[in-house]
Amino acid sequence: MTVNGTRYDRDVEPRTLLVHFLREELGLTGTHVGCDTSYCGACTVIVDGRSVKSCTYLAVAADGADVRTVEGVAVDGTLHPVQEGFWERHGLQCGFCTPGMIMSSVALLEQNPAPGEGEIRHAIEGNLCRCTGYHNIVRAVEYAAAKMRGEEPPAPDWEVPS
Amino acid sequence: MNGVGRSVPRVDAVAKVTGAARYPADVAGPELLHAKVVFSGRPHARMVAMDVAPALAVPGVVDVVTAADVPVNEYGLTMFDQPVLVGVGATGRSAVPSDVSRWEGDQIAVVIAETPRAAAEGAAALRVDWEDLPIVADLEAALRDEVLVHDETATNVYVHDRIRKGDIAAGWAQADVVVEGTYRLPHQEHAFLQPEAAVSYLDTDGRVTVEIAGQWAHEDQAQIAHALDLPPEQVRVIYTAIGGAFGGREDMSLQIVMALATRKLAARGIDRPIRCVWSREESIVGHHKRHRGLVHAKLGATSDGTIVAVEADAYLDAGAYNYTTNKVLGNLHLTVSGPYEIPNARIDSYGVYTNAVPGGAFRGFGSPQGAFVAENQMNKLAEVLGMDPVELRMRNVIREGSIGPTQVPFPPGVSMPEVIEACAQAAADGTDEAAAFSPIASLPSVGARIRRGRGFACAFKNVGFSFGFPERCEATIELHGDEEIERVVLHHAGADVGQGAHTVFRQMAADAVGVDLDKVDTVYSDTATTGDSGSASASRLTFMAGNAILGAAEEADKRWRDGDRPAVGEFRYVPPPTDPYDPDTGRGAINFAYGYVAEAVDAAVDLDTGHIRVHRVVCAVDVGKAVNPKLVEGQVHGAVVQAHGYALTERLVVVDGRIVNPRLSGYLVPGALDIPDRIETVIVEHPDPRGPWGARGMAEMPFIPYAPAVVAAIHDATGIWFDEIPLTPDRVLAALRA
Ligand code: FES
Ligand code: FES
Repeated sequence: MTVNGTRYDRDVEPRTLLVHFLREELGLTGTHVGCDTSYCGACTVIVDGRSVKSCTYLAVAADGADVRTVEGVAVDGTLHPVQEGFWERHGLQCGFCTPGMIMSSVALLEQNPAPGEGEIRHAIEGNLCRCTGYHNIVRAVEYAAAKMRGEEPPAPDWEVPS
Repeated sequence: MNGVGRSVPRVDAVAKVTGAARYPADVAGPELLHAKVVFSGRPHARMVAMDVAPALAVPGVVDVVTAADVPVNEYGLTMFDQPVLVGVGATGRSAVPSDVSRWEGDQIAVVIAETPRAAAEGAAALRVDWEDLPIVADLEAALRDEVLVHDETATNVYVHDRIRKGDIAAGWAQADVVVEGTYRLPHQEHAFLQPEAAVSYLDTDGRVTVEIAGQWAHEDQAQIAHALDLPPEQVRVIYTAIGGAFGGREDMSLQIVMALATRKLAARGIDRPIRCVWSREESIVGHHKRHRGLVHAKLGATSDGTIVAVEADAYLDAGAYNYTTNKVLGNLHLTVSGPYEIPNARIDSYGVYTNAVPGGAFRGFGSPQGAFVAENQMNKLAEVLGMDPVELRMRNVIREGSIGPTQVPFPPGVSMPEVIEACAQAAADGTDEAAAFSPIASLPSVGARIRRGRGFACAFKNVGFSFGFPERCEATIELHGDEEIERVVLHHAGADVGQGAHTVFRQMAADAVGVDLDKVDTVYSDTATTGDSGSASASRLTFMAGNAILGAAEEADKRWRDGDRPAVGEFRYVPPPTDPYDPDTGRGAINFAYGYVAEAVDAAVDLDTGHIRVHRVVCAVDVGKAVNPKLVEGQVHGAVVQAHGYALTERLVVVDGRIVNPRLSGYLVPGALDIPDRIETVIVEHPDPRGPWGARGMAEMPFIPYAPAVVAAIHDATGIWFDEIPLTPDRVLAALRA
């Protein structure tokens, strides 16, 4: 499979989950594990353009696929607009849900460049966050959407330090 | 200057958005071994025998740690009443009996193996013989005292706080109206998103080292040192990135057992790091919860709305061990009569052992339970009096100099009236209907089957440790440079559990020294390089660390002027001392600072399905001084949504001492579609005279009044009072149809 643009050829046990392959085999620990029941979304990655929960996805099922993780969304050290949004608009606290949230948001914006608040909430419905209360995550995605459309992001609702 | 008062971005944001941040499960190392903690799985049983040989025979298993390996087999944050590992006759040098499992999450062994799978197979192969004992399932069973959870106590009720203020009989004689209620409070699971994990090893100085996500590195160090019978200097605790905590990492999960594992292997000459990662199910079974409880309460007032008497009998289910129950109970005890000046009070609060999961620290620490009772009682009283709930509160609210239930004045800086008014005003401003805030039937219904309502509640909570605990916080500041200060290094142990403490510490250090933010480097959360900060709890870190940073900066400045290069200032901030409750009357100055909060909630109920939707929340919180307003808002959003779960969706089912739904698929924390549509944060800045820059603690406060505000909104919508939460659709529907 290709992960973040790099091709990997590995033999894996058939029951290896994609999340374990990424974390243990490739050392990509930005993809987190938060539950045992495919419920929290901390493990979300993008496989062939679609966001998937890598804890319920067999590594062998990604054979030949294009896999993207949080480590691969920044290009040459420049943050992706979604990453920038989470940073700028305080879309994170403990940060454990953040990689999964970012991948769900990237997948959303690739399909829908101008989502409304309700569409954003739907897109991250499968990603739990216990810290932020989600409102600033929605703002972060709105910020990123505007940036990706080449527009000025909505002004923050607080004073930005100079 | 980007110091205090600016919404600067978080210091940890880039690492967290790129996946570079390291949580405990991400820590690797050469020749990593894997550990599995074995739970008893028995709510109440005596261990007759344990045979580790079958586990050791599993290929890949390296060793098994049991109670026999614990030099001092006892644990407890505020009293030692729990063995680190349950095992037959293996107390070490402790007097705590070790052979009884008192809840299903009691730990009995740690299996160390080459792979996680081998560790799990080893755990499954352990042979344990148990003699089951009768289970004390809940408060009702515990109060009968037919079976004792701890043989050493004469009764399962092992802690009892009292308040006796004024003349309660005279109070009732004055009362024209009385409201009474019995309230049932549920467990709540922290559900921090990062399940417990840790890595342990010997560091280059030979110290037993545990990398983990916790709330108080030096307390972890002290507990490990105690059980391992080592001097604290030979134990090191390092905090990685922490995936949420909310009180749920205050007690020990993996700290002691992982240190034991490393020590055991070291004695065999094996120097390899060991990692343990809990599954979500292990996390939910293995750590404490917000206490469930039962409270009978009675409140009396004259017909003009002056409250004259309050009584309460409150019971908290401590579960199998104390954890912090005695302190949580103290907070419930204080807050169950609300932020009101009431001349006559009789309150009895009890902590009760059962064979359920222990209760312990969780955002609010007893105050959510207290406020649920106090504010429901107030809202019911307003209804009986036909009075506006805000007006009723303003008539009785504590003010500067008010005498509290513990018969001494509140610490200076009381702002409850201002906070109530700020909330009521903001709530009214956003609606067309009313110029003045009037929660009673203030919102019209939408169609016939959706009813809307508005509710109001307020609350107070202490900042910092209470009840005579020796509260303190240390900081060290180094000033580097020659003529001018070129670089500042702050050393601080305080844990950033996600709240943004490390960002705020840096802002405060920059401001205290008087340099730009980018000149401040930081060294955080490692017992080898930082002084004791106390815990990231009790909404205390901004207040305590800020005072410590101010002191350290002053000290460093003095040395700088004396010509020291670098100039190093060390400071230990000690706030005014506090008293424990007087055992007979509760009298005492139990706290040194408070935070104040009020919330108004607009909600709708679907009469056909029982579903509740919260449309709008207005939260006014006095933070004294917002060091970083955007982080304050983050705490408001997070606390409100967590309280939304407490009030509406989160139901932990504990039957006969067992958690029936230890998974996120069965225990429903709010998702992005469940949350309130809007949360409006009103930051009140009424300085705390003892706070750094006037700041108060605030991270717990917005949680506290939410559930009673929702209950009031639902009453406004339906005319039904709910004395038990969560308001799940089935419960609402049953009440609507009753
Ligand atoms: S780890 Fe929770 S959904 Fe995958
Ligand atoms: S930021 Fe902690 S879970 Fe989302």
